[in-house]
Amino acid sequence: MNPLRVVLAVARKDLRAEWRTRELVPALAQFIILALLIGNFGFQIDSRNASTIAPGILWLALVFAGLVAFGRTFAAEREQASLEAMLMTPASPVAIFAGKALAAGALLVMCEAVLLPALSILFGTPFSGDVVAAVLLATVGMAALGVLFAAIVARVRARELLLPLLTLPLWIPFVIAGGVAVQSAMGLPGNYQQAIGLLLDFDILFIVLTSLAARFVLDE
Amino acid sequence: MSIIVGNGLAHRFGNELALEGVDLVVDAGEHIAVLGDNGAGKTTLLRILATALRPTAGRLQIAGLDAFRERRRLRHYLGYVAHAPGLYPALSAAENLQFFCDLQDVSRSRVEQVLDEVGLTSVAYRRSDQLSRGMQQRLAIARAILHEPRLLILDEPDASLGSDAADLLMRVMKDKTVVLATHDHALANRLCQRTLVLRRGRSVGTATRLRVVR
Repeated sequence: MNPLRVVLAVARKDLRAEWRTRELVPALAQFIILALLIGNFGFQIDSRNASTIAPGILWLALVFAGLVAFGRTFAAEREQASLEAMLMTPASPVAIFAGKALAAGALLVMCEAVLLPALSILFGTPFSGDVVAAVLLATVGMAALGVLFAAIVARVRARELLLPLLTLPLWIPFVIAGGVAVQSAMGLPGNYQQAIGLLLDFDILFIVLTSLAARFVLDE
Repeated sequence: MSIIVGNGLAHRFGNELALEGVDLVVDAGEHIAVLGDNGAGKTTLLRILATALRPTAGRLQIAGLDAFRERRRLRHYLGYVAHAPGLYPALSAAENLQFFCDLQDVSRSRVEQVLDEVGLTSVAYRRSDQLSRGMQQRLAIARAILHEPRLLILDEPDASLGSDAADLLMRVMKDKTVVLATHDHALANRLCQRTLVLRRGRSVGTATRLRVVR
């Protein structure tokens, strides 16, 4: 069995379902715009402090949007009772997990496509390739961790409460390294290359760890 | 040759004993019905036989393999219709099956065949949340036979199926070993050679077709 076929099938299925129902992305985009507006009005933004405050708002919006996006990945499968049917096939649980993470990551990237230009418009910060690269690199690792914990808590009743409690502490490295990278891309002091290197290391580490754990989480 | 050999199968949900020491032997090509009231343990037994649920005690062999150590290998071998259809509501009937073709490593050309077999060709491109409950059940059956399994585990497959349920199930069950849970004794009698009756998680005996009629 070709694991890539399974990964693509699972990701395509999730993205197609989202395209037809438009359950998640429009709501998350709205949430992101509102979070940026609140940040904009809550702080007294001017040309001097915008690049100091904007990265913080960016990561806050991204983290909370990510929690919602990843939380839905397995919750919907549970509600439809379709997870068992999927796991009853000979497809590798790791490939199923990778497909779900790919789709959830893609959904978050769609939200980022709203977030980054909106941040630039509302805060007047530069919208550069460096900022995009830092956010995308962080998304990879955050998706791997978020989807793994979403799978773990999917069978628990208090999953909306448990998911942030489990996920947020492990997302801190991404927020720290990503925060430094974005700040430095926006002209504040910080070593961009080093922060990007760290993000890459965290991505590799968490992709390997979550793939190993996914086998046990989904198989049992 | 015995396809299923279960000894002392038991399952506990917390303090609740759902299944207690059930022994079961099913031969190749045999159709066996599991009967019992609500809460008798039928679904628990069938989920164990489908390797979807690990028993808390007992041993289960399917096709000579340990059902839980080798369960990934057995998934090519068995098809399972669960209590809930478990479909993707935003996908059409054909898309639901195409997705499972990819997961089962089966050619997508099989979709047309199985849709025809369960009588869903005319609604192949209708979203599954727009299908009636009976059609959804047919789609769940189609998914279970997509990879042409030799063993079928069917949990109340007749639910909402309508008047031709027996004919459809007879077609689907042909040349396969089947364990079927149902409340419908007449259907069980028509489709199966043997019945296993459960009461409060315990087997209260097996019976042949004639004894069930009486």
